[in-house]
Amino acid sequence: MSLMRRLFNLGRDEGLSRDIERELSFHMREHVEALVADGWSEADALVEARRRFGNPTFQREQTRESDIVAWLDSLRGDLRYALRALRRSPAFTTVAVASLALGIGANTAIYTLIDAVVVRSLPVPNPEELVQVLTSDDDESGYFTNPMWEQIRDRQTGMSQVAAFSETSLNVADGGEMRRISGAWVSGDFFRLFAMRPAVGRVIEPADDVRGCPATVVLGHGFWQSEYAGRSDVVGKNIPFDGKPYQIVGVVAPGFGGPEVGRATQVFLPICSEAVLRGSGSSLDARSNWWLRVIGRRAPDVAFEELRARMKSIAPGVYASTVPPRWSAENKADYLTRTLGVRPAAKGLSGLRTQYTSALLVMMGAVSLVLLIACANVANLMLARASAREREVAIRMAIGAGRRRLVRQLLTEGLLLAAAGALAGLVVAKWTMAGLVTLISDPANPVALDLSLNPRVLGFTVLTAGVTALIFGLIPAWRGTRVSPQTAMKASARGVAEGHGRFTFGKSLVVAQVALSLTLLVGAGLLVGSLRNLSTMDPGFSAEGVLIANSGFRRAGIPAARFSEIRRDLLMRVRSLPGVQSAALADLTPVGGSSWNDEVHVEGFTPATRQDGVIWFNQVSDAYFATMDTRLLAGRDFDATDVVNGPKTAIVTQSVAERVFAGKALGRTYRTKRGDTFSDPVTIVGVVEDAKYRSLREESSGTVFIPAMQDSAPSPGMTFVIRAAGNPLALVASLKGLFADVHPSYTVEFTTLDEQLARSLRRERMLAVLSALFGALALALSMLGLYGVMAYTVARRRNEIGVRIALGADSSRVLRMVLGDVARVVLIGLVIGAGGALASGKLVTSFLYGMEPAEPSVLGAAALLMLTIALAAGLIPAWRAARVDPVSALRED
Amino acid sequence: MTRARNDILQGTLDLLVLRTLSSAGAMHGYAITSHIKRASAELLRVEEGSLYPALHRMEQDGWLRASWGKTEKNREARFYEITAKGRRQLELERESWGRLTEGVGRVLRYA
Repeated sequence: MSLMRRLFNLGRDEGLSRDIERELSFHMREHVEALVADGWSEADALVEARRRFGNPTFQREQTRESDIVAWLDSLRGDLRYALRALRRSPAFTTVAVASLALGIGANTAIYTLIDAVVVRSLPVPNPEELVQVLTSDDDESGYFTNPMWEQIRDRQTGMSQVAAFSETSLNVADGGEMRRISGAWVSGDFFRLFAMRPAVGRVIEPADDVRGCPATVVLGHGFWQSEYAGRSDVVGKNIPFDGKPYQIVGVVAPGFGGPEVGRATQVFLPICSEAVLRGSGSSLDARSNWWLRVIGRRAPDVAFEELRARMKSIAPGVYASTVPPRWSAENKADYLTRTLGVRPAAKGLSGLRTQYTSALLVMMGAVSLVLLIACANVANLMLARASAREREVAIRMAIGAGRRRLVRQLLTEGLLLAAAGALAGLVVAKWTMAGLVTLISDPANPVALDLSLNPRVLGFTVLTAGVTALIFGLIPAWRGTRVSPQTAMKASARGVAEGHGRFTFGKSLVVAQVALSLTLLVGAGLLVGSLRNLSTMDPGFSAEGVLIANSGFRRAGIPAARFSEIRRDLLMRVRSLPGVQSAALADLTPVGGSSWNDEVHVEGFTPATRQDGVIWFNQVSDAYFATMDTRLLAGRDFDATDVVNGPKTAIVTQSVAERVFAGKALGRTYRTKRGDTFSDPVTIVGVVEDAKYRSLREESSGTVFIPAMQDSAPSPGMTFVIRAAGNPLALVASLKGLFADVHPSYTVEFTTLDEQLARSLRRERMLAVLSALFGALALALSMLGLYGVMAYTVARRRNEIGVRIALGADSSRVLRMVLGDVARVVLIGLVIGAGGALASGKLVTSFLYGMEPAEPSVLGAAALLMLTIALAAGLIPAWRAARVDPVSALRED
Repeated sequence: MTRARNDILQGTLDLLVLRTLSSAGAMHGYAITSHIKRASAELLRVEEGSLYPALHRMEQDGWLRASWGKTEKNREARFYEITAKGRRQLELERESWGRLTEGVGRVLRYA
């Protein structure tokens, strides 16, 4: 009750003072009258009354304090005072707020990303109940076949709901160049599991997901807005996927887009309709196609461990009823020993998370260092200001202000700066968010994250601002009030807050900045160097100028028997197009996202482990190696002698030749296994150099190539690799014409090999760009700080410099003196920073390629860069120092 | 509420003011000091410097109620009255004063 009144009284400042004034002056008058009545004279009575009463101002203040919340009142006063002081020095305020805005903003941006990708739970009711079912106890991803999913669905207990889903991309173009959108196969309980409601029409229900179901689709909210302009008459319309029409039955409400964090699913299809889309190639009964992921809700009365035990108990039944019939006995036995595991999935499933968590954490570390450097700058600025106000502070302390009180007041200034910096930082963060997301996005699969301001991010920003305010505010405040009252008496404003000696506090801050900057620069150098190494290394082929055309004739209704002939024909025509240097067919392209491996059985070779005998495979036509610019080391390329009914041939890469065939591969044979039967022996006719298969970082383990011409059942999809004489994309139009000639219902997708490789380096690119940016920012801030401190030092030492010049020092000597100071500060910083640089190198080791964490060239280059720029920054104050006029310098005392 | 440093003295002032107001009704600050001076036969004189902060504090704590009114001489003054809460506090102060004097007395009598 009294607290409320006290708070209220804070508001009526004027009225309160007046009331107290009235009350006290009434008391005085009564007392005077009483004394006069006693016989005192008016004048004496007045004096006596005043004497008894005490200091009226003090009285008023004491009384007032009882009426208000004292600390709040003084805080308000401090804020007003600080605001005035900051407004009076706009240059300082602008620089300080700008530095803080950059530092805090960058931190907030990275944290928002981390929050969205790593920390946040799914925005569904009771996310802690969600679990993901896995194919073993430590399996990370957990993919199931459809038969397995059906078994799990029917047999499981312990989960109140369970659903399966699979991400896919679907072509919605009606012929011609493909247009892919992101879609998801979902089971009947999917929408119910995540409490996703329809905005229009209805969502997929359990009744929709039965074998033989019609082709229905539910649209994602964003897709509905962009494709159909949010029209409500969309229900009942058809949309073609890979040419098959699907009927739209509803649109999902906005907000939650699926359990895959970072992916915006645009359409949802029931799993049973996969049979409609793929026809005879359907995976619904395929026992060795792993494509579905299973996620469920733990029943409220079942503990997590209990659920795990239950899943383990149904595992044997699940596996026993879904054994792939054509596998070898050995593999079947292995299959039956597998089990089921569970894992909490409150945060959903995310490939984005797996890929980027450690990278983002490293960036968080880097950006914190940038913030520290910015804080050091502001601290230095505030120190300079504090020493300019020394006289004022000394006077105030002399008339009774406590030290703590003054420190609190100076700290309030720091708080105001931090608050302004935080607000500006939020704006900076918002702008940079879009750029950040672009860095980690793949244009084919754009990242979709909810990056709006949420309480956690806001709390983080406030915390950062508070901590930075303490860091850069406390020390100058403390030192600024360390004055003796004597200073107030001195006429000149020369002060002692800076301390004597050559190594002042400001310089130590610069040393710290230099050390931190070196750490960041070295980190940046390592990451940028790694990216360069990855981009410029020899991957075993020439990516430049190669076009990849993924074409398909599935809808053309061409009889399968004609595909071989069509392929041959098409290849010949592609080769004769103007602008084509060479062309070939390939099932898989390097770093293309798909892979195929098989176990190779060779006489005289016993693999050390089972994995040792498993090698990557690819099926290619003749001239593939010429097109890819992969060197043929021995033997021959595929040619006309490799026919369908002839002896089977293959070409292997160098490492396979060494490892499996002990260096002599030509003429040797291998066999593969189909179930329990061995294939016919395959003869090796050529050896080529190793090339990257799945990723640019891998250690080449070798590839086996088999000729496309010996494929007895070619598919209607063909991938061409084409080396163009000029710009590969210029061939697109003529290629489309060729495909249309074969059949008007063709589909095609174009990309260049360069693009394909670049896509795989997204994470490395993000790290390189960001670390370079932060390194540059850190360098700029440190050099700014260095310049400020040197300018200030020179200004302070004008007298001393004047004396030196008067005594005969020439300008070069003065220059050397100042620059020597600079060099000393920077060198000490570099030495300390070298330790930090080594540590930062260790931290990013997993991201490096072709660079040692302690790469001396990077360290040396960074150090040299800093020293050069520092000397340049110090040149201006040094020049000014050299031009000091000794007479005027000495005159000003 | 936190007490000031000079606990005994402040408590005593509180006690005197509360007692004054409980027996004499509504009074302004000057009248309170006069009353205490008279009632104590000039043995006690209220330190004016501490009176008003104390009065305002007691008002904030809810022991007194204050309002502006007019004196006999038709001057505007702020009058203080004791509240029910204040009466309860008076009893408490009385008791603790009793304990204090008893205790001091015993120490002094101890041979």
